[in-house]
Amino acid sequence: MTDSRRTIHRDLVLMLLADARLPVAGHTQSATLEPALRAGLGPADVPGFVATRLRTVTRVEAATAVVALHHLRRGLDLSAVEAAWSARTTSPAMRATSRSQARALLRLVSRLWPGTEALRAVSSSTTPCRAVVLAATAASLDLEATALARLIGYDDVQTVCSAALKLLPLDPADVTGWVASALPAVDALADEVAHLTRPDDVPASGAPQIEAWAQAHVHTTRRLFSA
Amino acid sequence: MPDHTPSRPLAGAPDSEAPSSTRALRLGVCGPVGTGKSSLIALLCRELAGELQLGVITNDIYTDEDARFLRSAGVLDPARIRAVETGACPHTAIRDDITANLIAAEELEADFTNAGGTGLDLVLIESGGDNLTATFSPALVDVQVFVLDVAGGGDVARKGGPGIERADLLVVNKTDLAVHVGVDATLMVAEAGAARDGRPVLGLTRTDQASVARLCAWVRAQLASHRIGALVPQDPGPMAPHFHADAANGLTGGWHVHDHAHA
Repeated sequence: MTDSRRTIHRDLVLMLLADARLPVAGHTQSATLEPALRAGLGPADVPGFVATRLRTVTRVEAATAVVALHHLRRGLDLSAVEAAWSARTTSPAMRATSRSQARALLRLVSRLWPGTEALRAVSSSTTPCRAVVLAATAASLDLEATALARLIGYDDVQTVCSAALKLLPLDPADVTGWVASALPAVDALADEVAHLTRPDDVPASGAPQIEAWAQAHVHTTRRLFSA
Repeated sequence: MPDHTPSRPLAGAPDSEAPSSTRALRLGVCGPVGTGKSSLIALLCRELAGELQLGVITNDIYTDEDARFLRSAGVLDPARIRAVETGACPHTAIRDDITANLIAAEELEADFTNAGGTGLDLVLIESGGDNLTATFSPALVDVQVFVLDVAGGGDVARKGGPGIERADLLVVNKTDLAVHVGVDATLMVAEAGAARDGRPVLGLTRTDQASVARLCAWVRAQLASHRIGALVPQDPGPMAPHFHADAANGLTGGWHVHDHAHA
């Protein structure tokens, strides 16, 4: 049993949330890598794909989460944050994927940490996006904005790379090397977005090609990954 | 800011949701590739759609083939058949991380709940065709069927495994093919019964209406038990017992479950 008087180091909370074994259907996601490969990208392109996502769609996600965290900590209404994310995520398929992942995450964290104010706030929205639910999780567990942004960047890199191992003939050690090589970019992304507070601050840094691939994926009949 | 966060007690119960008699019964169908899981589900839809409100979730490994097969079989409204992609992890999706399937089941149930609050009676969840060790988490399904077929070999049932030994029902499918593949279907069913400690085994072929009627009667009985809150999901078990060809038992062989780690 957990001694309720003990405190948990934030590093451990972050490890729990970043662990691929967290049951939030992460194994169903390729972060758009599957349609990108179908469209012609090859193994050598994967590190570039990771870097592109960190500069574009993942940047939107991380910035949205940080702004949502700011709003949750001050009890501000989240609808403008959600709207800012939605306006910058033009692919309906990517929005649907995010909301589905949000639902999976909310289901888990509401069970583990029931009754926190932040989770109540996002549960009242019918279909919150993943960034907002991650922010509510961070608020519930006293994670800082930089840690939240790092979590989002890291998870995106790992999602692409672990999907690459299923889709391409690769050496897992090489792929882990790609993850390690991307860590400075994750760190930089976190530093760049951590101070944001207003919905207007969320960068409009979508990637039309990635969004087009996400849309195309919905209509394929042979796919390993949901998105 | 301190680096520690106050701990909150984890809600530790594996599944605090009480057995429900109001939501649909969730019935899992698993077993190796090609044993007839999709056909069994199509058969149940054909036989039961007249009396029960049904839904189906498929977990294909690399296509939505199973969902398309069921839709094209014309036995159920295509809107009631949903496919879940498992990211090449069919085991995970029914056992370690059931989230995608739970959400699909909840959405299906919600979509077919009418204004009066009545909805689906039965949701059939088909696992991705995998190997002999895959079983459903009891947090995903209320009851599960493991499907073998005679063409996979008469000795498969005897060899055992968690699904074969402890699924709520073992179906030995395609008994009509037994004569063509040199298998004694009656013996196979009997050996399966012995491996299962008396749990039910059903020899099935869709050309034998009596066997189909027995399958439907079993499903109806499970549903009745679920509705009165008497059905408690049983776990067939985490792993197949496995074989050690070491000096101690190398001659006679033997299956055992143990709790020591392998070096």
